[in-house]
Amino acid sequence: MHIENQNRGARAALSGRRTATPLWITCGVLLVTVSSGSHADETDLALQLRAEKVAITVCGTCHGRTGVNAQPKFPVLAAQNANYLAAQLKAFHAQSRGDPDAIAYMWGMASELDEASMTALAAYYAAQAPQAGRSGNASEIATGKDIYLHGIPSEGVPACSSCHGVDAHGLKDFPRLAGQHSQYILKQLASFQSNMRNVAIMHGVAQNLRLPEMQAVAAYLEAQP
Amino acid sequence: MFGKTIGTGLGTVSYVVLLTALMAVTPDALAVPSFARQTGMACEACHTVFPELTHFGRVFKANGYVLSNLKQVRDVSPKKEQLLELSEFPPLSIMAQVSYTQMKTSVPDLSSVGAPGVAQNGTAGFPQQLSLFYAGKIAPHLGGMIQLTYANDSGTIAIDKTDLRFADEVLLPNNGTLTYGLSLNNNPTVQDLWNSTPAWGFPYASSNANVSPLASTAIAGGFAQSVAGLSAYVYWNESLLAEIGGYRSAQQGVTNSLTGGAGPLDGTASNVLQGLTPYWRLAYEYGWGRNSLEAGVYGADFKVLPGSASGSPMPLHPPLNRFKDVAEDVQYQFVGDEHLFTVAGTHIHEAMTLDAAFGTAAANPTNTLSTTQLQATYYYRRKIGATVQYFSTTGSTDTLLYPATAPGDPGVVTSANGSPDTRGWIAEANYLPWLNVKVSLQYTWYSKFNGAGKNYDGVGRNASDNDTLYLLLWFAY
Repeated sequence: MHIENQNRGARAALSGRRTATPLWITCGVLLVTVSSGSHADETDLALQLRAEKVAITVCGTCHGRTGVNAQPKFPVLAAQNANYLAAQLKAFHAQSRGDPDAIAYMWGMASELDEASMTALAAYYAAQAPQAGRSGNASEIATGKDIYLHGIPSEGVPACSSCHGVDAHGLKDFPRLAGQHSQYILKQLASFQSNMRNVAIMHGVAQNLRLPEMQAVAAYLEAQP
Repeated sequence: MFGKTIGTGLGTVSYVVLLTALMAVTPDALAVPSFARQTGMACEACHTVFPELTHFGRVFKANGYVLSNLKQVRDVSPKKEQLLELSEFPPLSIMAQVSYTQMKTSVPDLSSVGAPGVAQNGTAGFPQQLSLFYAGKIAPHLGGMIQLTYANDSGTIAIDKTDLRFADEVLLPNNGTLTYGLSLNNNPTVQDLWNSTPAWGFPYASSNANVSPLASTAIAGGFAQSVAGLSAYVYWNESLLAEIGGYRSAQQGVTNSLTGGAGPLDGTASNVLQGLTPYWRLAYEYGWGRNSLEAGVYGADFKVLPGSASGSPMPLHPPLNRFKDVAEDVQYQFVGDEHLFTVAGTHIHEAMTLDAAFGTAAANPTNTLSTTQLQATYYYRRKIGATVQYFSTTGSTDTLLYPATAPGDPGVVTSANGSPDTRGWIAEANYLPWLNVKVSLQYTWYSKFNGAGKNYDGVGRNASDNDTLYLLLWFAY
């Protein structure tokens, strides 16, 4: 929460700046590409502005301009935990996150990002208003809620909430899942199962999950605000 | 039909051969791996299956092909102005098409007048085309796709599809975006973002060893690679595209008869555009989930000075022939991880005012021509897929523009009743062992050809005799 509050503060500062000088005029002279090069002399504000423009004009094509999108192939990033986002960008950069869409899209997109840019991009998304929960199949959501909050003890599946929070808003380095596209969550769980996305703790959690159980959890999470 | 107006009775066969050669260059299309190298992203980011673009691919193109994730060689002034931003290696690609064409019925062999045989059926194109691309970023906000192609019909290397773009983007209130840019290109619609318009429409590749119908519209490749156009566009919120531009003749391989230089064009040149040909485009795309739906309109107004197309060199001044094209297009895409589905189509209406051709190469002072193409494509995991297309050409009857077979001539590329009407289907099956390698089997059925289904040329050839089987190996690296 501390990080999110900090980022909301930065966002407020940006908003103030926008009042003084329209953001789009300021941004008009900034770099468009993700390629970062050296930004050692860039001020924090300039870095934030550049990250905001990159997020809106480049990342936004798939993830939505404020991190909320309608394309379930690509995850919702709005209000995502900044630590988690920065860690994922580093994993894409290092080519250590190996699920298919990460390879096809994000390995390239993150290849030339420097650490400061990753942090600034993560901060931009963390500061955005979250995706509202969406309705779904009530019985599936109820099943998903039970699995999410209590796990499936008989199958050795722990409660998701123990790491991701009771409200699914994420904790520390664990990502926010509330409002995420169910199709995206399903695909990630499958990638954890197959170890294409090689995260030991999630492999352990997901390996005993059956498809209907994964679908139920995904439907529950998509419905959460 | 634009091209036919340049013909007179004498040159009908050779002209049609020329037109066929021209059109063979037109429908080809491409996937350019240098874009993948530049962005670091797989083909699937920008393409469903090449060359059809996804939404991301359309945005990449509208933004000038400049998105780059490569290390850059830079230079800056003491005032922090960017002087240079150069990718560490040039965005070059090669593309090859190897093909085999079998027509249902071979065409006459003209080598022995009086005792004609039939031409060999079964044409191997090895290669049909071989292309070199510069495709990618040139400088900040400036990128391009420049194609240089060797084609087996011409036997030479020539400039092919080219689109140089400048683009920039501004943020609007409420996180909106506005991309604005310029495109300098050599083929109307080559700069377009959707696969429903002619330059990038289906069929993406087709035989250059078959018989083509007499009629096609000017905007559908009639001036491909023989014009230079500059258009300005805005692309609002990655959904609304508005573009306006103008084209001027930029003919290749044509010299001034007096100076021997590359210009100015004079009456020894054929089909020279008078002044600036206006081009316009308006399209809107709505996206939801994995779906997108686009609807748009586009058009151009070609005023053409026939010059030597009149039969002998003629000064480049009016009367001229005018081809006013107005078209609608639509495209629906579903891009899933396993299933991909596209429906696209366009209808082009051409109004011809043939002041120059009337009386010699056209029997009517005005004509109309309409073409319709509608296709559906399905792919499974971008590996195996198929496309079915319906195509139709209808137009006013003109016995000089679409001439009958002269006594003793072999027909085939003529119309006994002076009608351009042509109709049929294309079915294509594709297999991609890798995303940059495609094997296609395509079959074209004609139910009507140059005005009739049976005996369309008056000397016994049926539309179905032109049915064509086309096998293609197409790859790019």
